[in-house]
Amino acid sequence: MTEMIKLFVNGEEVEVESGKNLIDALEKVGIEIPHFCYHPALGADGNCRMCLVGIEEGRPPVVPACKTPAKEGMKVLLDADHIKKIQHDVMELEFINHPTDCPICDQAGECKLQDYYMKYEGTESRMRVPQVKKRKVQDFGGGVIHDQERCVACGRCVRFLRQITKTGELGLVNRGDDCRVEFFPGRPINNRYGLNVVDLCPVGALTSADFRFKQRAWFLKRAESICHGCSKGCNIMVDHNKEKYEDDIIYRIRPRHNEQVNGWFMCDAGRMTYKSENDNRLEECTLAGTVRPLTDILADAQSRIEKASKALFLVSPSASLEQLVAVQALAEKTGAAVSAFSDGYIVKDDGDDFLIKDDKAANRTGVDLLSIAKSRTHFDNMAKEADVFINFDNDLSRSLSEEQIGKLFKDTWVLNAATHPGHLGTAMAGKAGASVALRSWSEYHGVVVNCDGIAQKFVGGVMKNIERPDIVEIAAGLGSPATGAAAAWALVQKKIPALAEFGSFLELPAEGVNLTDNEAGK
Amino acid sequence: MSDRSKLIATGKPFKFDKKYDTEFERLVKRYPSRESMILPALWLVQEQEGWVCEEAIGYVADRIGTFASKVYEVATFYTMMNLHPVGKYHICVCRTLSCWLRGKQEIVNYFRDELNLTPGKTTEDKKFSLEEVECLGHCGSAPVLQINGEFYENMDVDKVKKLLATFK
Repeated sequence: MTEMIKLFVNGEEVEVESGKNLIDALEKVGIEIPHFCYHPALGADGNCRMCLVGIEEGRPPVVPACKTPAKEGMKVLLDADHIKKIQHDVMELEFINHPTDCPICDQAGECKLQDYYMKYEGTESRMRVPQVKKRKVQDFGGGVIHDQERCVACGRCVRFLRQITKTGELGLVNRGDDCRVEFFPGRPINNRYGLNVVDLCPVGALTSADFRFKQRAWFLKRAESICHGCSKGCNIMVDHNKEKYEDDIIYRIRPRHNEQVNGWFMCDAGRMTYKSENDNRLEECTLAGTVRPLTDILADAQSRIEKASKALFLVSPSASLEQLVAVQALAEKTGAAVSAFSDGYIVKDDGDDFLIKDDKAANRTGVDLLSIAKSRTHFDNMAKEADVFINFDNDLSRSLSEEQIGKLFKDTWVLNAATHPGHLGTAMAGKAGASVALRSWSEYHGVVVNCDGIAQKFVGGVMKNIERPDIVEIAAGLGSPATGAAAAWALVQKKIPALAEFGSFLELPAEGVNLTDNEAGK
Repeated sequence: MSDRSKLIATGKPFKFDKKYDTEFERLVKRYPSRESMILPALWLVQEQEGWVCEEAIGYVADRIGTFASKVYEVATFYTMMNLHPVGKYHICVCRTLSCWLRGKQEIVNYFRDELNLTPGKTTEDKKFSLEEVECLGHCGSAPVLQINGEFYENMDVDKVKKLLATFK
């Protein structure tokens, strides 16, 4: 536990954690100090002057909260008249050259300038001189669009690119009211984390070319999820919305703060994974080439599994723990083999030392914890033996060529349960005995374990118009003892004792559970 | 202030010539970090070319091993960095209080009438360029002119006339 100290805010005593600056310390107890340039990940810069607070009997009597550590007995003034005047005047300064084009600005609804105007300023402009004209709709590269006139010159984007990505594409050029963010001609933003500057920007100066004009911030529904783009398991917010008569669509993915996994950031590739959640999804369940209800397919498959000399279930290394145990339990019951063969999910030398990992599977650690075999030889041997093969959303086309897949399952009855077409290659698509369209990770709940052994829950908020089954439902339909999400979770807890204390997956702490090797048991 | 962010590209790669190259290497030893060389290096560029082009900023950044955006920031912040070509004689007239009161406007007017030269412009023969600058720090001997780094104090129109004659 961190040490607690007592200080006074507007005369009232509050208890805060020590070793933090005033903004962070007071934010934890629900007291907001307005700020533009300060960001916990980038440190204090002290250029915006919005966070000036009064210190009673202090020297100096007015200090920037971002650079002032919280101290025992400090008497902080937030609502004194002279502090209110400072906040009002700083806001007025920011608005001198601001175009105030909120109706056409993408940041509206999540803009600090808007929020602070309502809270700290709220007066009409006194400016009677023409505003400084700057560049609009400037392409900064990397999918970032810049509007210089909206900028408050806080320098967060500049500091992010210098401190975090160490690429330093942006700089604050000129001075005075002509100051603006620019890249050096011919050297635009060119790194794999560039879009984070859009989230960092407290105003609408930096917007994402991908998200611009697609949806208003206040229409978006939020789902706290985990990125399934690689094994890092960055915490994300899935922003989706179902417009009238339309399908539920994801509009963007934003990073969610988790200090022990991704900090405040995520990679650009992870942000774009929402596209595959929206588009090119499998829609129908087919049996021998004709569209049939799911129950018919499952009944047929179940009888085939019973009759088969050997059945092989292939699971995805991105599946949730619940899905993995559901399939595993089914295999144990029917005597089938389970494989998580997925060599193709590992992209060599793609990772870096920040967030991107070589392994593009979200739950490979979970696969290992459940002792599911994933070697090529095991898979090949089992595939040769098996006369029934069920694929649970493993994109086999990443690991094997079309000919290899065709050869392995020449005489095998195949049920392909998948979110997207092409998991078994295009040639196999017609030959598959049955296919089932599955829910994808933005549509189901579950727990995945990231590359560092941290188990994290995610909530699927997207509700598609087409009802698709989850892998747990399919496994249950095929006779798995895990008859539902709760039963599957109970099985997970049996296999991973470290998770036993949590009644449901929703009780997992927001920052995740670190499953070190000895804790995981097994 | 004005917008100085639009850089002019010459289309030719920039390089220090031998003299400034040795000077750069001599200066770089002075500082604990190479980034400290941004301003001195920009001065060297300006001494060599008379002004700082886009290519030179990129060259300085790569030579120092820092972000081009940082050098770009410095070059646009300091107005004594000429970001456009100037004449052979770059005349800076101080326009701050003392020089203003002691008649800098007459000198500026003289340039306008005699050479058709207004602040921020260069004569057609590229010989003279004029700029009004903030305090040059010689208020005691106002008005002051700075021409290619040299100071000329207690100036008036007659003295400017004689001075220009020596430049021709």
